Amino acid sequence: MVLDPIPERLARAKSSDGGYGSVPGAPPEPEPTAMAALALGDPDAVAWLVSNQAVDGSFGMTAGSVVSDHTAVVSLSLPAGASRERALDHVESVTGTNSAAGPQEPPYGWPWTDGAYGWTEPTAWGVLALRINRSGSPRIADGLDVLRSRECPGGGWNYGTPVSFGVDQPPFAQTTAVALFATNGLDPALTKRGQAMPAAAWRAEAGGLLTLATATAAFRALGDPLLTQAAALLERDVQADRSADTVALAWSALALGRGLDEAVAS
Amino acid sequence: MTTDPHVSRRTFLRGAATAGAFVAAAAVGLEIRRQRVPHPWDAGAFPPPSEARVAVLRADSYDVDLVGIVLDGMRSIGADVSGARVVLKPNMVEYDRSSVINTDPRVVAATAEALRRLGAASVAVAEGPGHRRDTGYVVEASGLGEALRDVGTRFVDLNVAAAAAVPLHSRYTDLGSLWLPKAITDADVVISMPKMKTHHWAAVTLSLKNCFGCLPGRVYGWPKNALHWAGIDASILDIAGAVRPSFAIVDAIVGMEGNGPIDGTAKPVGALIVGDDPVAVDATSAHIMGIDPTKIGYLAEAGRFLGVADLERIRVAGDDPDRFVTPFLPAPGFTQGGAPATGGQ
Repeated sequence: MVLDPIPERLARAKSSDGGYGSVPGAPPEPEPTAMAALALGDPDAVAWLVSNQAVDGSFGMTAGSVVSDHTAVVSLSLPAGASRERALDHVESVTGTNSAAGPQEPPYGWPWTDGAYGWTEPTAWGVLALRINRSGSPRIADGLDVLRSRECPGGGWNYGTPVSFGVDQPPFAQTTAVALFATNGLDPALTKRGQAMPAAAWRAEAGGLLTLATATAAFRALGDPLLTQAAALLERDVQADRSADTVALAWSALALGRGLDEAVAS
Repeated sequence: MTTDPHVSRRTFLRGAATAGAFVAAAAVGLEIRRQRVPHPWDAGAFPPPSEARVAVLRADSYDVDLVGIVLDGMRSIGADVSGARVVLKPNMVEYDRSSVINTDPRVVAATAEALRRLGAASVAVAEGPGHRRDTGYVVEASGLGEALRDVGTRFVDLNVAAAAAVPLHSRYTDLGSLWLPKAITDADVVISMPKMKTHHWAAVTLSLKNCFGCLPGRVYGWPKNALHWAGIDASILDIAGAVRPSFAIVDAIVGMEGNGPIDGTAKPVGALIVGDDPVAVDATSAHIMGIDPTKIGYLAEAGRFLGVADLERIRVAGDDPDRFVTPFLPAPGFTQGGAPATGGQ
């Protein structure tokens, strides 16, 4: 059951046209609208997304030559139909760029912005979007290969750089939690190593609501016994954090409610 | 600053002068760009740099009277922030309890308090960490959250704050425009507050590079890879030219040398560097780090349009910078104008 305050607080970021901004007062954007749609099942949010889909099927934000790409997460919030299929076509077509000027070789994964490198979180969303709604896509294996190659020493993920200039980089609970939604059921060993990371670090990183919410959501999806403790802390912190943004609140609603797996399957 | 600099900053950021289309090969170094366009900026938006004032102030530790030192620094450069809405932008790109990645929260909190005493109408602290999506984690784990609560100062997460596309007035990259948070564009005064660090792609990360953290991760990602791939030096110039900090305060009480900006080692310098020209502050800071500022590509270029990089033209107040010169080990793998896969502030 979703806590009452979360929908009310999410509603403060909802604009009159049905979309959600990143925070109250901000104009609507694809990612927070998709996350609110997943958390609340809000048909207005879905309608906003459908009406704001680009010709190429994508969802993003443009400033000059940079175009962000949130199509994968948005596709998970769309009902079956032409809009979702166009979004998935786009997801399948987008690849990360291995280097700014070198030859391009797989695995590619998915970038945050068109033409950039593939990173952990967008790659996780790409894999998840395809495994849920286009399970035969060869890009699923590509994305998994990227996640395997970016696994931090000992398991888990940070933004996508496990070693930098010879120095091992630590995993983050938040990115690891998102990546686990992609790997769960596809690579048990990778998932098990990854699951151990937020299990060990979630308390230490719980100072951020987004981390706590995504870790709790992952615990729910994985049947981790830590769910009870994490959910209790999340219930407390989501009340205390009055400045939480739309994505963090939506993750909180999912973690304390029906869970991301059920939301994307409905 | 003399008359009302705050209004002019807002006017600049909201100005209608749109950066014209610039056709060139993608992601090239500064030299190639300069060969093609000798002056890749709108002259009207960047009047020739005039006098720059920088104060180097001794601060042996984070436990001294930092409020007093910042007050001394701001007064000695003639800073006028009375009635201004001020945003402080520290470097909180990442957090590691065993390292000195961040601008120390005590310096940030002390600056907030000092600015209030100088008559600022409001002071907020804002940052958009480049590696961690969860800004709340970085703020709380680093101690910044507690430090700001102690001085009653609001924090703004620039990764999620309301933002809008702003046309660029310089064209070192092909970015054309940038998403900038309203917290930045609406501020009368932005103060860039970096940690003094070496950087494996930019040589040093100081007040200009620190401006990367003003751009929202929800558009540019974690890390803000698209900006690095647009050319690290070129991006620094365009972003700093868009953010246009009014002042810079460098935390050099303890800096970071070697494998910066994340994995370097602590380097005590014992100073705060305060100035009304971020380019001049960075040039002075590089000098203190034992690095010739004229050898830092983006900094030398910034001296052509954004501020004063020539040490001979910087009016220095406070202590003699030469007394603080502490050669920093360079970052391994530093390649001027490289094409990194990632990067932090």
